[in-house]
Amino acid sequence: MQHSTPELVPEHITPPSTMALLRRNPAALAAAMLLFVLVLAALFVAPILVDAASSTDLRGRNAPPFDFGRNWLFVLGADALGRPILPRIIVAAQNTLLIAGCSVVFALGVGSGLGLIAGYVGGTISQILMRVADIIMSFPSLLLAVIVLYMLEPSIFNLVIVLTITRIPVYLRTTRAEVMEIRKRMFVQASAVMGASHLRIILTHILPIVLPTLMTIATLEFAFVVLAESSLSFLGIGIQPPDITWGMMVAQGKPYLTQAWWLSFWPGLAIILTTLSLALLSNWMRLAFDPAQRWRLEL
Amino acid sequence: MSFTLHRGLVAALLLGCSFPAYAQDERRVKIVLGEEAQLIDPCMASRSDVGRVVLQNISETLTVLDPRSADLRPRLAMSWTQVDDDTWQFKLREGVKFSDGTAFDAKDVAHSIARTTSGAINCEIGVKYFGGLDISTDVIDPQTIEITTNPAQPILPVLMSTMTIVPEETAMDEHTRSPVGTGPYIFDEWKAGQSISLSRNPSYWGETPEVEGATYLFRSDRSVAALMVENGEADIVPNIAVQDATNTDTDFAYPNSETFFLRIDTQVAPLNDRRVREALNLAIDREAFKGSILSSEVVSATQIVPPTTIGSNDNLTPYPYDPEKARSLIEEARADGVPVDTPIKLIGRTGIFPNGTEVMEAMQAMLSDAGFKVDLNMYDVAEWENFYTKPFAEDRSPQIIQLQHDNAKGDPVFSMFFKYHSDGLQSVLEDDEVDRLIDEATVATGETRADLWKQLFARLHDDIISDIVMFHMVGYTRVSERLDFEPSIATNSELQLAEISFR
Amino acid sequence: MLKHLRNRLISSLLSLAALIVIVFFLSRLTGDPSALYLPLDASIESRENFREINGLNDPLIVQFSSFAKDIVQFDFGKSLRTSRPALEMVLEAFIWTLQLALITIALVILVATVIGSLAAFNVGGLFDRVATVVSLIGASAPDFWIAIVGILIFSIGFGWLPTSGTGSLLHWVLPVAILFIRPFGLITQVVRNSMIAALHAPYTKTARAKGAGPRRIIFGHSLRNAALPIVTVMGDQAAGMLNGAVIVETIFGFPGVGKLMIDSILMRDFSVILASIVVTAIAILLMNILIDLSYAALDPRTRA
Repeated sequence: MQHSTPELVPEHITPPSTMALLRRNPAALAAAMLLFVLVLAALFVAPILVDAASSTDLRGRNAPPFDFGRNWLFVLGADALGRPILPRIIVAAQNTLLIAGCSVVFALGVGSGLGLIAGYVGGTISQILMRVADIIMSFPSLLLAVIVLYMLEPSIFNLVIVLTITRIPVYLRTTRAEVMEIRKRMFVQASAVMGASHLRIILTHILPIVLPTLMTIATLEFAFVVLAESSLSFLGIGIQPPDITWGMMVAQGKPYLTQAWWLSFWPGLAIILTTLSLALLSNWMRLAFDPAQRWRLEL
Repeated sequence: MSFTLHRGLVAALLLGCSFPAYAQDERRVKIVLGEEAQLIDPCMASRSDVGRVVLQNISETLTVLDPRSADLRPRLAMSWTQVDDDTWQFKLREGVKFSDGTAFDAKDVAHSIARTTSGAINCEIGVKYFGGLDISTDVIDPQTIEITTNPAQPILPVLMSTMTIVPEETAMDEHTRSPVGTGPYIFDEWKAGQSISLSRNPSYWGETPEVEGATYLFRSDRSVAALMVENGEADIVPNIAVQDATNTDTDFAYPNSETFFLRIDTQVAPLNDRRVREALNLAIDREAFKGSILSSEVVSATQIVPPTTIGSNDNLTPYPYDPEKARSLIEEARADGVPVDTPIKLIGRTGIFPNGTEVMEAMQAMLSDAGFKVDLNMYDVAEWENFYTKPFAEDRSPQIIQLQHDNAKGDPVFSMFFKYHSDGLQSVLEDDEVDRLIDEATVATGETRADLWKQLFARLHDDIISDIVMFHMVGYTRVSERLDFEPSIATNSELQLAEISFR
Repeated sequence: MLKHLRNRLISSLLSLAALIVIVFFLSRLTGDPSALYLPLDASIESRENFREINGLNDPLIVQFSSFAKDIVQFDFGKSLRTSRPALEMVLEAFIWTLQLALITIALVILVATVIGSLAAFNVGGLFDRVATVVSLIGASAPDFWIAIVGILIFSIGFGWLPTSGTGSLLHWVLPVAILFIRPFGLITQVVRNSMIAALHAPYTKTARAKGAGPRRIIFGHSLRNAALPIVTVMGDQAAGMLNGAVIVETIFGFPGVGKLMIDSILMRDFSVILASIVVTAIAILLMNILIDLSYAALDPRTRA
């Protein structure tokens, strides 16, 4: 690999507006549009397709994709029970986004809240919280999920709880580390001396600095959660039919890889495109919101 | 860690790094099981993973049942006679030695029976086949033993085809990890998590088999296991999924003595109405499953035991697919005030057989098309069992539960009491006629026995409609082309290396 | 420093104790194992007998106290499945997973550092774009799917590798490769981003102004500063590697602790669940301590 002299990225991009900045980056723009379309589809198109997505036809099973002689619903082929794949992907997007979205939002809320407390208050509370995080982290998340899903029923709600619990430590640790560092900075000390309330310090000084980092993590975590859910489906423990998620569709299509690759390929592609978009978007967000690129952003 | 790694490195170099080193011993076979047999104790051999290693390879039984013909043949016993109602006498084979060198005689049989049925180590054979039976033995001479049961057991010689014989030195209160038996193979080595190997028994009493030894590997992912034969890494892979059985030269379908059916909870409305139960049966398009998610060789069933079983009733016909009639039956029931719109809980078991979940999804769709309200719920075995076995919940919703039942023993007695007698642990029926038929058949012999079973099957299928009986299932086994071995109905519970030869 | 280490060890032990209590009670709430170990036709008496023999009939708190007494002597009891000592089974399996994880981690660090640095050196260039997209796709594809496709391509298609199992060095290639993909994607991104930051830090500019070559800039200055986030994320990934190991070991029939754990949870084999979680938790806690120590070595300011 030949490397040329490194180009310098401008230290400070003074953004005219977020949209203008987004337009300047085609990859990020495409990612944002894809996610937008996906959310629209999950919200408005999926309810129309629910019936089509569950109508079986054993005699028309594993129908290949791009057979334009058939109904457009079958454009991506049919699965092992003859159900059209395209509507299934759209319907499954609902559950997939719901599970991943909720667990990310809950874990983000709880984790960063506790992290703020741990970092700001410090002392014993911080120690206890960190040890709790240690406990959760020293327990492979997949196995915690399996145990909890055996105790409770493998419903969407319970899955969200499990995935939330296992992902809390990431936010907790990051927030705490950030807050501890920011607290020592001059302007925070100064405003404390000037009599600002704790809440005010947190809201006006600390949160704005921590938030971009947390958002970056959250977008990457979204991918993690989608994949974790898919692993659980592969092990036969996650969401159970008749509910569907992308992960479950990949798992159900896996036995047919040699004869009907499209069964697991399309939902797999949906996972990859979504997570890839999120990653690209989070890369871009970091550039857009925080040109200083402190290393903690990567956590 | 470095030690094992180092060893792996050296081994790889020795075996030739350039190409995968599947050094096939010419006369040994590799068999890929679905899970590691956790207890290679002969008294656990009724579990298929243990049975495929142990049964008739390491440990033998007094009698063997040929599941193809339902004939009972001698193995370690030469002959048997009924002394009186509850006592049988077995004459044992002479000149048989265990692989540890000790001679086989009646005391070993007595010890094996005591060990298997004692309950101290929960031997599966004891629990499964000898539960509720008081059994005692009387050693007459080294080659003669009398076995007495209470209550009387007219098919005791058949039961003895499940009883693996171990030497009398085998500990009563502990599972053995290196089984000793009289069979044509000796247990060699067990590398935890990796493999179990057997080798030929040089002092076997019978014919010397062609296969010199066997290595058992474990892969829970059956499609990977099937690929291993294709890649020359293994010779026999039992129990692959129908979609993996793509090569007609290597993949054999065989009836596996399992019957797939769904139990209808006849105690809860609306399922307590016969018309509703008939409608359920008429709503299922059985033919659509054949050759799609299930093998094209599954056989539509009317009863839960394979057709080769004594007392199997050939006069029953499977319910046809008639959604129109199903709908009109539902309407009829509705008119009589039956709450047909109550959501019915369809309970499936994950991993029950290949594509078992897909089958349930398809059935749910078919039942919904006919106008039923059906919620599908998939559970793992432990949770599923709560719905399956008594005590049933008092305020339960109407339930239909997915079952697969294996009876390779040639007699319905192993199935019917548990599932249909009002005292049976898994029975939702409380029907005097059914109870009477089961009680009488259990102690009857010959034609009468067969006839009583036939009446019972007709009562269940035509009069009560206690189940949605689906199919007698088939299994697929992939066999390397270098072997001459045709899997049979027995392959579900055992895999006799002595029956394998090379091409 | 020593005092810090001692505190860290003590609090880790407390975490471990809490973990044991939690897992003990959680796992026992997942259901009665007798349904799994006895045939479905087993009588109520046989089930009762099974529970009695295995001490499952005692009140939970009694079971726990007898378990707690044994565990201080590192006796986790016997496996329900195999009747072998649970700890013995777990240690046997743990060695395999440890090897798998160490090889993978070493490879990830090596490859991700090289590729991430090169990508950072020419931000927005072709190499950077390709590396970013490829590593992100790798990190976002379901691993069990990649594993099967890998077997189909490399074992069946080309016939280069064995499909699964253990035995030769070649048997390690696919499992390591699959386990490698996800952390590789993430770490490459982390390396790339921290290197971009480090390359534009004032000291790098100084070095550049002094005429240091690109290699010296990367390896002499920037990488050392980028090491901190890499270590942090790697620690997180190493703990998460057990998740990947569960999948990889299930597919490749690899006798590791991930598969052992999942099997023992499926079979409600309580003593093995506990032993395996304790052993892996100890490993992860030790690793976290090591990471903390390496922080101190890399960045003296974090010494508390």
